[in-house]
Amino acid sequence: MTPPLLSVDKLEVVYNRAITAIQGISLSVQTGQIVAILGTNGAGKSTTLRAISGFLGIDDARVTEGAVTFKGQRIENRPPNEVTRLGIVLVPEREKVFPNLTVAENLAAPFAPSMSNAERREREDLIYHFFPRLADLRTRTGGLLSGGERQMLAVASGLVCKPELLLIDELSLGLAPVVVEDLMQRLLQIRKELGITIVIVEQSAAVALEIADYGYVLENGRVVLDGDRERLTSHGDIQEFYLGQSSGDRRNYRDVKQYRRSRRWYG
Amino acid sequence: MSDRMPRASGYFRTGYAQEMALTKTRLERASLFVFVVLLLAFPYFASAFYLDLANQVFLAAIGALSLMLLTGYAGQVSLGHAGLLAAGAFTAGILYKEINAPIYLTIPAAAVTGAVLGVIFGLPSLRLRGLYLAVSTLALHFIVVYLGGEYETKRGFSTGITIDAPVIAGFRLYGGKIWYFILLTFAAGTLLICVNLLRSRTGRAWRAIHSHETVAEALGISIAGYKLLAFVISSAMAAVAGALFAYYRSFVSVEAFSLFLSIQYVAMIIIGGMGSLLGALLGAVFVTLFPYLIEAALMKLPNAQSYAGLLFAVNYAAFGVVMILFLVFEPQGLVGIWRRIQTYFLLWPFKHKPVAGARK
Amino acid sequence: MQLFVNIIVLSSIYALIACGYVLIYRVSRVLNLAHGELMMLGSYLLLTTASSFSGHPAAAIAAAVVLSLTVGVLVYVFLMRKMTGEMALAAVLTTVALGILLRGLMVLIWSAQQQYPGQALGFSNPAIALPGGGRISTFAALLVLATALTYAALFFFLRFGRWGVRMRAAGQNPLLAAQRGINLHAVYALAWGLSTLTGSIAGMLISLDSGLTNTMVIIGLKAFPAALVGGLDSLAGALVGALIIGAAEVLSIQYIDPLLSDVVPFLILIAMLVVRPWGLFGTREELDRV
Repeated sequence: MTPPLLSVDKLEVVYNRAITAIQGISLSVQTGQIVAILGTNGAGKSTTLRAISGFLGIDDARVTEGAVTFKGQRIENRPPNEVTRLGIVLVPEREKVFPNLTVAENLAAPFAPSMSNAERREREDLIYHFFPRLADLRTRTGGLLSGGERQMLAVASGLVCKPELLLIDELSLGLAPVVVEDLMQRLLQIRKELGITIVIVEQSAAVALEIADYGYVLENGRVVLDGDRERLTSHGDIQEFYLGQSSGDRRNYRDVKQYRRSRRWYG
Repeated sequence: MSDRMPRASGYFRTGYAQEMALTKTRLERASLFVFVVLLLAFPYFASAFYLDLANQVFLAAIGALSLMLLTGYAGQVSLGHAGLLAAGAFTAGILYKEINAPIYLTIPAAAVTGAVLGVIFGLPSLRLRGLYLAVSTLALHFIVVYLGGEYETKRGFSTGITIDAPVIAGFRLYGGKIWYFILLTFAAGTLLICVNLLRSRTGRAWRAIHSHETVAEALGISIAGYKLLAFVISSAMAAVAGALFAYYRSFVSVEAFSLFLSIQYVAMIIIGGMGSLLGALLGAVFVTLFPYLIEAALMKLPNAQSYAGLLFAVNYAAFGVVMILFLVFEPQGLVGIWRRIQTYFLLWPFKHKPVAGARK
Repeated sequence: MQLFVNIIVLSSIYALIACGYVLIYRVSRVLNLAHGELMMLGSYLLLTTASSFSGHPAAAIAAAVVLSLTVGVLVYVFLMRKMTGEMALAAVLTTVALGILLRGLMVLIWSAQQQYPGQALGFSNPAIALPGGGRISTFAALLVLATALTYAALFFFLRFGRWGVRMRAAGQNPLLAAQRGINLHAVYALAWGLSTLTGSIAGMLISLDSGLTNTMVIIGLKAFPAALVGGLDSLAGALVGALIIGAAEVLSIQYIDPLLSDVVPFLILIAMLVVRPWGLFGTREELDRV
């Protein structure tokens, strides 16, 4: 097997030197894959992505143990701008566009490694090819965009940085299902045409598993389950707790406890 | 009190009265006693020069303690402390010049002026926070100093107001030794007031506001009331320090209350250590003595006299450097260093304090 | 007419200085209270380059300009960089301390006497008669021109320059900016450099016009209300604020009391803080940043 594009090995992140947010998470991402990280609130999904893309001093967070390796290079605890230049770009969950810059300025601001003006224009055309709607909104201020448009702009401005690996935090958050569906199709198109590897973090397993090749389920800062799409969609716990399909008969509390007990085995 | 850690090993409180006591162990009582005796004996040994230094330290300590209450505990930043000192000094000076008021009237009058100004300085704090508040106090400083200067020129005291030594019951308060005891009393009184304020409801309310205003409000603390109270108390103390300064120097002039003085007071509480009364005292000692240390060091150099003219500039530069060093490398100030030494000996032969909730 | 000229000149001085406060605050949320000292340092640098490049005034000015830009960058790299991530207030106090340090150093190096870089460069400063009966000195006229040019250049740079857009982006959301590959340290250093540069240009022109003493710091401090009245994160605001402060100062000197000149800016500042703390053109939510 070829070495993975990105591998996270027994990662541990501590906030404020006191609160352990994730403990011992390991994942690996192959080139060209779409990988989904699933889990409920506070499971450590966002922290995992932030740890990969790098913390700023103001976050007061650190990777205290474990390793993040990208193309054979250790990148944990590097500042975000360096990680971005290496080819990993994060689309954050909140505050993902610059609200007082226009769409065009939002797309101009990102730093792209050594790009000529011609290349830059080409890149711009490419972005408007993926997101034609943004071309009409060029002079609109980022803060005035709708949720869906904002998400498009966030992904688009990430693409300006020429990523090899795109990390997307909560693509579907607060968006109508039809908009999410549209965005997911764009991601598939981006992967197909640019060969970009994508990691998506989602609360909604139904959405994520639709396009993902592989998935990890996080709970309380640990990986409790992983597998390819077929395995996860057919897995009983996933069906029940993330996809919301019950197998017909009513469940009672004991079954939930049963699940809680059983999931320890995955960790 | 804020320090949860017993000051001596093997000492644990067994009752609430112990928690409230000002001194906790026999060693503390003994060392406090020795310290007080030394303080009282000091003027009988010291030369006039050292007496003057001590008096300056006491004056600075009153100002620094009051600023520490406001900034270090209530979290309201003030860059206009010199304005309040000026207000106190001018109240004393003007009352003396205009109606020949005795000292036992002018000092309370200065406190009242300070309190009123405290309300004015404090009003912006109801709307502004942090940076903007600091700026508003800075602006008020200029306005107070302007008013003082205006009085000087309009009444023809353009070089400043001279004040004769005050007389109480036929006794003339004059000379370093007498003022040493007066200023020591005032400084000790201020310290006692501060200590007691801080361990009462008021002090807890201030600290709550400092940590989080919204949460404090949700807990039923009147934000506006306690903020204004902090400004009023702190300003009244500062104004009293200003009035005492005027009497001690027998002279009042706006030149003495420049922006640099405000910065010096801020420096005292930073260098001493934010959020600690001991820090305010240490900072006052440090900042007051610092220029003299620089001077002494400079005079040790070969052909010292040629540098004498530059002394003021060297002081400025060195002061800036020290302030930067503390801000960048020791934000906890002298108290931080002191606590580390204390813990080192307290825990000896162990190295680290067990951190509550430490990982693993 | 002369009154009008005075207002324009004073407002230009304040505007040129105030844009330095705005640049740094807008990009890094730090209030630089050492700006007045840095401005003065700029004019002392001109004094030095004037004596080392005697006979080549253009070279002397160019060298001083480059040096002041470098000074600004160095201040960030060696001092303010350490304060990123600290409380905004600690950073402000650090600039205050820097100001004190610079003031001491400048007296040590250049002494506190009044000096005339204009003479050192061999410039004369004739007054120009204006239509309408006003008079303006050459360097005051140049200062007005420099202010106009600086503002035009800054507006253009921040609107269309790639690094200008990046500076605005970093000011709005430093984390996202870093995640988009923008080197925050580079952006902040650039802001400090540009701010010191514009301040120094103001300082040089003032000293060429009316000599150089260490009271110049006060002018720098009085320009701060101008920046705040207009809104600390708005360049256009700084321009308007400077006009208000300049006009109020000149008029109060003329009609009320010359002693007021040092207080009027701060009186207006207080009034503004009471009514509209975020300034005429500032962003409202800035207020909660502590």
